[in-house]
Amino acid sequence: MQDAPSFGRKDLSERTLGVLLLLPAALLLLLIVVYPIATLFVNSLESVDNANPTAGETFVGFANYARAFDDNRFWHATGNTILYIIVTVPGSLVLGLLLALLANLPFRVKWPVRLGLLLPWALPLVFAGLIFRWFFEYQTGVVNDLLAKFGVEPLQWLSEPTLAFIAICVAIVWKASSFMALMLLAGLQTIPRSLYEAAEVDGASRWQQFWQITLPMLRPAIFVALIFRTITAIQTFDIPYAMTGGGPGESTETLAMYIHKTTLDFLDFGYGSALAALMFVLSMFATSGYLRYTRRSSGRTGDQ
Amino acid sequence: MKTWKILLTTAIGVALAGEAWAQQTTLRIFTGGQQRPDVMRKIADEYQKKNPNVKVDVEVGGATSDAQQQYLSTVLSSKDSVLDVILIDVIRPAQWAAQGWAEPLDAYLGADKAKVMGQYLKAYAEADQVNGKVIALPYFADSQFLYYRKDLLDKYKRPVPKTWDEMMETAKVIMDGEKSPQLQGFSTAGSPIEGTVCTYLVPLWGAGSDLTKDGKLNLDNAQAKQPFQLYGRMKQAGVLPKNIAEIPTDRIRIDMQAGNVIFGMTWSYVWNRLENDADSKVKGKIGVTMLPHDPGGKSATCIGGWQLAVSAFSKNKAEAVKFVRWLSSPEVSKMQAIMASHMPVFPTVYKDADVLKANPWFADALPVVEGARSRPVSAQYPQVSDAIRTNMNAYLAGTKTTDVALSDMKSRLQPVIR
Repeated sequence: MQDAPSFGRKDLSERTLGVLLLLPAALLLLLIVVYPIATLFVNSLESVDNANPTAGETFVGFANYARAFDDNRFWHATGNTILYIIVTVPGSLVLGLLLALLANLPFRVKWPVRLGLLLPWALPLVFAGLIFRWFFEYQTGVVNDLLAKFGVEPLQWLSEPTLAFIAICVAIVWKASSFMALMLLAGLQTIPRSLYEAAEVDGASRWQQFWQITLPMLRPAIFVALIFRTITAIQTFDIPYAMTGGGPGESTETLAMYIHKTTLDFLDFGYGSALAALMFVLSMFATSGYLRYTRRSSGRTGDQ
Repeated sequence: MKTWKILLTTAIGVALAGEAWAQQTTLRIFTGGQQRPDVMRKIADEYQKKNPNVKVDVEVGGATSDAQQQYLSTVLSSKDSVLDVILIDVIRPAQWAAQGWAEPLDAYLGADKAKVMGQYLKAYAEADQVNGKVIALPYFADSQFLYYRKDLLDKYKRPVPKTWDEMMETAKVIMDGEKSPQLQGFSTAGSPIEGTVCTYLVPLWGAGSDLTKDGKLNLDNAQAKQPFQLYGRMKQAGVLPKNIAEIPTDRIRIDMQAGNVIFGMTWSYVWNRLENDADSKVKGKIGVTMLPHDPGGKSATCIGGWQLAVSAFSKNKAEAVKFVRWLSSPEVSKMQAIMASHMPVFPTVYKDADVLKANPWFADALPVVEGARSRPVSAQYPQVSDAIRTNMNAYLAGTKTTDVALSDMKSRLQPVIR
């Protein structure tokens, strides 16, 4: 309290110092985040004739966006992406929670469990895609080999649309649940042991403890994990790209794959940018939904 | 005194080395993983021996033409000068010319242009010139052939098939006789990749039609359905592998090498692998012939092959062109033919005794390559390719009927083929 009178004077210089310290980071962000996004948006308003690309870009307003709304392939890819979100986000949450609870058990040696959790997460996505492609391969894959042991005819996992969708979801859930588990494990370790001890004294069963203590205390961690997972699910690319290449036909193509094809294969940067901007909107929409929900629910706990 | 001497000699040595280093040009050549980078390395070593001032780095890219192009699009759209010479697929020169990625070679060839281009197989001289400009020089030729199991045909006393129906019937007889569930009657590219474009085009040409006529889309006829119907019949007869829609180009070679394919529609590189790979179970059991056709029709095949382009953003264009001229010479054509069964781009090399010793079937291959046809030439070829391959793939997977696949293909092609 003795320093209080001098605090006002120091305040200004501290603020300046703060701004100065933040400036490099802000400039860096401006350069690597704001600038590309702005460029993307400008690109999305332009078009180039790829039969004659040297003529350069022309400003076309929102024509690229209008084109997207009439483009069946865009809607199909968006629908697929949403389907992947609906299946893999809850899927990886449940599996991740199970893994986290398992890893949180008092093992004498902790590192093998932690390593087991970390490995799938540390693996590059495209590797995971290739590994699962081999698993689900028709002639030499381990999945069909196992099925054969039970007398089941080999299945065309990668060239039958529904099976391909299932195979891709399995790969994504496997890959994503370890990330979920890591986030949730961190949350689990912040729950004080005393709560469980008190519950035991009160005669609560293990099951009751889980629903009454673990899950409510884990809620913030679950939300953060869900937001991260949903955003990465919207960008789903590597695993279906490596497993099916979007096939058969375009039946497993995601929005990110269509954007990749439009820009890198077709060199249609204007349309590709418009599609990317639309994906950004989808991302914002999903994230804001979660955030609104968390704000509301945290407000409710505040009222109690 | 001694220390001084050492220092002085070291200084002179460094200066000399620096001088030599300054004169040295490093050329970076990009090649695909499936275009035998090991052979390219050996050829580059040969060039380095002849040109001590040049060092060649071989950069190896993706295994498929598409994967390579995706990487190259990124490098070249950003005008990166890291690559000097790039090996490109025969389908690309039109797009590369339009995008301005390849340095036109006309100025370097000068008065020799007509003479130089005249020595190549005509199809390649045409493919590599866009609107009168030389965009690339041919490296090796390629086309699809029918690979067949000589031993099995002999065992069942069947002739080499001429028509699709004969081939199907023969495959059926052999499959029924062998009773091996692994054995595939006929294999071709079916997954959504570039090779699957030819899977559609070959029977279309075999039926006497083409994708375009006078520059306009030409798919409103019965022949346009023929390829779908042909594969549909093969599928029904059980001649096609069940997972045909999952099969990329090199998978045909792998299955064939394991002894699991009777007839395969694939490219020339396969021969060398089947004959020479340590794990090949079909050494000496393979025959190569022209692709089948419809009764009364003519055998057709897709032209393939790889071209050498000089990057428009290279900082060593003069040296790069010199290197390309050498790579595109009869001498290197012969080396490739022997080391990799890459088909020569010069008609004369097909008659070379050493080349024929390594590849006896080259004797009959020349007319096939000379008659091979081009996939549609377009600055927007990637869209054309995507429209054909995804619909062919969907049909083979059984998710689209002939009519749906064809009409989807047409509506995708319409905006790009005007």
